[in-house]
Amino acid sequence: MDSTRIRVLCIDDEARILRALKALLRDYDVFSTTEPESAAQVAATHDVDVVICDQRMPQMIGVEALRLIRERHPRAMRILLTGYSDLNAVLGSVNEGEVFRFVNKPWDNQELRAIVAQAGQLARETPAISNAAISERDKQEIRKHAGVLVIEDDPETQTRLREILGPHYQLRFAATTDRALQVLEQHETGVVISETDSGQGDLTGLIKTLKQYHPHIASVVLTDRANAQLAIDLINEGQVFRMLLKPVRMGSCRLSVEAALGRYWQLKNNPKAAGRFAVVARATPSVPPSLLQRIKALPQRLFTFGRIG
Amino acid sequence: MSVTALIFFLLALGAGAAAFWFFRQSQLLKLRIIAMEEAGKRQAGSQAQIMHTTKLASLGQMIAGVAHELNTPLGFVKSNVDVCRELLAEYDQQLISKAHGHLAQASRLNLEDPNVKQKLPAALKALAARLAANTTLSEVNELLSDSREGLEQLAKLVRNLKGFARLDQDGMDLFDPIEAIESALVIAQHELRDRISVVKDLVAMPKVKAVPSQINQVFLNLITNAAQAMGERGTLTLRSRRQGDFAVLEVEDNGAGISPEVLPKIFDPFFTTKPVGEGTGLGLSIVHKIIHSHGGSINVRSNPGQGTTFAISLPIDHASLRGQGRGDLRSDEEPA
Repeated sequence: MDSTRIRVLCIDDEARILRALKALLRDYDVFSTTEPESAAQVAATHDVDVVICDQRMPQMIGVEALRLIRERHPRAMRILLTGYSDLNAVLGSVNEGEVFRFVNKPWDNQELRAIVAQAGQLARETPAISNAAISERDKQEIRKHAGVLVIEDDPETQTRLREILGPHYQLRFAATTDRALQVLEQHETGVVISETDSGQGDLTGLIKTLKQYHPHIASVVLTDRANAQLAIDLINEGQVFRMLLKPVRMGSCRLSVEAALGRYWQLKNNPKAAGRFAVVARATPSVPPSLLQRIKALPQRLFTFGRIG
Repeated sequence: MSVTALIFFLLALGAGAAAFWFFRQSQLLKLRIIAMEEAGKRQAGSQAQIMHTTKLASLGQMIAGVAHELNTPLGFVKSNVDVCRELLAEYDQQLISKAHGHLAQASRLNLEDPNVKQKLPAALKALAARLAANTTLSEVNELLSDSREGLEQLAKLVRNLKGFARLDQDGMDLFDPIEAIESALVIAQHELRDRISVVKDLVAMPKVKAVPSQINQVFLNLITNAAQAMGERGTLTLRSRRQGDFAVLEVEDNGAGISPEVLPKIFDPFFTTKPVGEGTGLGLSIVHKIIHSHGGSINVRSNPGQGTTFAISLPIDHASLRGQGRGDLRSDEEPA
């Protein structure tokens, strides 16, 4: 085994898919298994760089297998490859699997090769993000420095979020893109909570572009739209950190924002790791030029305070 | 005497009361039977409707399920065909460079050498044969490229089926109603084929809040009904326009039309003009129900012998309306 070659682990209950992937990715060292239960073990043993996993398998769903791999071997970049794109699978792949890409079967060979090449390079060149818990002291420090911005024009949801998050975080609200940019310009913001649509129209362009230029800011998307494709695009083009369905629930909302702020803190202290959240950039920007300029010009607030202890 | 009279009177009163009681009871019974019959009819109607909707839903689920299942074999077959073409191209390159090598070698040989003289013709022959085999390669390539196109066609069909069944989106979503028309047209293709020409007079519409699979079903029903009303030849016209807060979508045929007596009944459950066993008489009643559950309305105009137009109005989503009307500046809300 040539240790300089990228190592890829493929997991699918269909052996013919595994054989096809092995032939497609013949420039890499490919390991494969039809047993998702043992995948985390295999990933760790061979120190793989990239994992490609199917969603529907009889023993275990892919999202669950990817979550186990994320815990056991966080260095590997995770890709979900599935013929079933139901909403639960998509939400799970964000919230549980934290996948790098969501790819539909049948896949495009060139595209999949390019994704694996990029993922492999990122796994080698960027530091992994630790699974270790953040101390209470650090958590207090984060809340003091970094705020949470809510982009949402529905008064009911605003009230609900104010109730849930207001007592714990520096919470700021924006009903318009313009106001959201003002907040981002003036205040250090670790987490952006956003709807997918507002009265102004689509907000996903803003979420995606913000991630493209400021990958350390974690985004939590709220939506009442049961649209799997919208969610897939937000993964691949927006690398959203969490995706929550409305109505907003207290528990999952608190946990998501807490974890998102933690992620911001980790990336702020380890800016190179933000490279792992590279997005698929569209050929034409998804926001108007003036907005693109403002997003690009937002201050980079990395290293403004050092890790304590 | 008076005692006898009293007894008679009491007997008569008793008989009268009994007769009245019997009469009341039978009346009540009759009323109850009528009520039960009606309830039974209603229930049968709603039960059949539920069954039909469930059937449609499970059909949609089955389509989506089959489409999803097809994605796995499509995935590896499509990938393998591409990889085989790549491998063939590599092999081809190797073969050609090898042939070049051989020829270059041959050109440097001393032809006066008896050994060379003896062996060269056979070697050249063998090389020619191998190069001839190269045409086999190009043939294989051609076949693979056809297969690749076929697979792309299959993948597209699966995408269309999935798009129509929309199992990925079985809840409310912001939805472009024109998409529903386009998607229903693809599925109704076999009904239309060469016999019916389709005229699209469709302008872009703001989005509506809807369950996409249901709206798709509505247009599929209307389009297939129209196709069946037109017999041998006909023109199906699809129109869209904005009317205040509503998106209006029309499906028009130039078929047989509906007579004025029948017209008021077409949305009733079980009403059908099709031969027994062909129509359930539920298609239009379900269309009606779906449109009403979306806060919309459906109207029909028909001239016997000239054709029928169904017009569906769906409320436009207010968020997308506001977005169109106003610019980027709206009042902000600050946290309390």
